[in-house]
Order: sequence, then structure tokens, then C-alpha cells
Amino acid sequence: MKKHHLLLIHSAKGLSKSLSSIKKEVVKAEEGEVFDVELAEDLLKANQRLAEENKQLLHSNGIKTIDIMGAIGSGKTSLIEKMVQQLKKNYRIAVFKGDLTTTIDAELIARHGVETIAINTGKECHLDANLVKKALMKIDLSSVDLLFIENVGNLICPAEFPLGSDRRVVVVSVTEGPYMVVKHPFIFMEADVVAINKMDLAEAMGADPKRLERDVKTINPKATVVTTNCRTGEGVGDVAKALGL
Amino acid sequence: MTSQIVQNVLAEAEKRKAKKVTEVHLVIGKLTFLGLEQVRFAYEVLTKSTIMEGSKLIIEEQEGAVKCGNCGYEGNFKYEDDPLYHVPVPTLKCPQCGNVVSIASGKECTIKTIKMLI
Repeated sequence: MKKHHLLLIHSAKGLSKSLSSIKKEVVKAEEGEVFDVELAEDLLKANQRLAEENKQLLHSNGIKTIDIMGAIGSGKTSLIEKMVQQLKKNYRIAVFKGDLTTTIDAELIARHGVETIAINTGKECHLDANLVKKALMKIDLSSVDLLFIENVGNLICPAEFPLGSDRRVVVVSVTEGPYMVVKHPFIFMEADVVAINKMDLAEAMGADPKRLERDVKTINPKATVVTTNCRTGEGVGDVAKALGL
Repeated sequence: MTSQIVQNVLAEAEKRKAKKVTEVHLVIGKLTFLGLEQVRFAYEVLTKSTIMEGSKLIIEEQEGAVKCGNCGYEGNFKYEDDPLYHVPVPTLKCPQCGNVVSIASGKECTIKTIKMLI
């Protein structure tokens, strides 16, 4: 419950002035009483509360949830596709795919025979717990034990919006340049697992994945770093293992 | 986010049947993605033709801080300098004992107070 402090400030100070101005001030006081409302309402906490609710709902249905984040084009969808291929024999999987518009990626994932819900945010550059809550109402939770949620391509905002997942993965590719991790410390602080993707292009890019790994571990000592090639599926098994799958 | 702020203030004003909102005091954490200039700009745009138009927007920045579950340290991040890039990065290491810390503040976007005319 919000606590409200109501402070009624009448223009009583006008009484010390001349008659004509008192008349003015009295009229003013009648026109408007100033209310000072103390709210202390943290809007980002509202999302956190919803995320907790989502988590509880998922857990009560025995579902493990993984949230995949990363820059645009880093390989999030490819990672999910490969994980779905490798894990669908052991798990009943569902996927939520966040995008501003289109269902292109959702359809790619659905081809692997898993229930896929496309969440179109319209203009929001990140998924939030409310959108995930809505998507959860569209699936039969009793028929799922593993849920992947692919966030919108963005290394900034998703760090602020937990969705209710058990683990968060950040995908960063060697084609994004050597500074991507140090430029976005806060999203890497959220990550349980970091996948350094597109390893097949590392040499062509002159990229040093060991440097990227070191940057991640400097910022977040508890993150597990795995190198991957989501085109061939190399390293994906290690991501799954790091996630306890 | 600014749109949500405006919606919430308007809802509070509606509850009290306020005629005009004169001042809104926000606390925005330094670790959030919210840019103060952008919030100010969006606020001006979004409050036009509402009872919030012309209201004063005060933004207080909240410092980011971490808390250590191991030694009880509470304070600023430990920054580390990369020898090659010379970029000081914030880390989740406790400056006191080296254990992993959690973020205690700097991630909020709070409507602290609203001044309105009834």
C-alpha cells in the first residue's frame, strides 16, 4: 500500500499583506489547494513484481525458463534453433520470440516442431514481464517443461527488465568488435551464461575471443563463458550444460 | 518509461480530482538506461494538453551502489581498468573482500512526490 502524506497549504501568509492583495490571495486559495502527495512508487519495481509472479507460475508448472538476450544479429535465434534441435528429445519445449514486428523468426523456430509464440512489442525495444505474462496465457503450461524466451535485439534495456526466467543468457558475436562487452557492462552483470558466437568468423575478423571472455569475467565473475558457432551447432551443447540442461 | 510516469501521475491526479499538476519529483537511478535529457523531452511532449502541461519536473539522480553478502560492504562498484583499452569498467567484485556483490541501488525509476492543485 502506498503511504500518502497530505499537506494542505492555504495562502494564510497573505493575511499580512494589504487588503486588496488579501482579497486576491483569498480568491487564489479558493481556486486551488495545493496537495503534496508522497508516492515513492518505483515503476521498474512493478515489472520486477510481475516477473516474480511469472516465475512462480512457471515453477508451479514445473517449467524451467531461459531468457536469451544479445545485440541485433548476434545469433540469439540461431542459438535457440540449435538448442531446440538438441534438446527436444529430452524436453517438451515452448519458445517465446520477441520482436518489434513480423513473425519471421518465430516461424523459423516453429519449423523444429516446438510451440512458438511471437510477441510483437510494436515499438518497445525490449520484452517486459507483462508481455511474457500475456504470452503465458496462450500456452498449455502443463504440456511444457522448458521455455526459451528470446528478447528483442538490444544490449541495453533488457538488463532492466527481468521476465521471470531462471537463467539469463547473453549472446555476443565476434563480428561486433572487441569493445562490445566493456561498453555494456550492466547486461553482462545479468548474465548467467555468455555465448561468444560466430567463432567460424573469428579469424576473418581478427577477433580475440579470449579477450571478450576476460572482459566478461572481469565484469561478472560468476558468468560461464562458452564459445559457439550456431551455424554448425559447435559449443551449443556446452551452453546447454552450463544451463543445467 | 516516461509515458508510464505520465500515466501514473495523471491517475493519481484523477483520484484526487486535481485541476492541475504543478510539480513532479522523480528519482532515477544512474544505472538505468534512462537518459535524463530524453526523459525531460518526452515529458514535455507527453504532458501537452493534459493537466500536467507546464508542470515542473525535478529529477534526482540516484547513485549506483553494490552490497556484499559476504563482508557487508555497501558502496560504489569496484572499477577495473583494462590494460589494453584503458576503459574502467564496473565489476561485481567486492572492493573489500573480492566476493561477488549484488546491486543495491541505482536501478530505480521512482515517482517520489507530486504537487497538484485541487
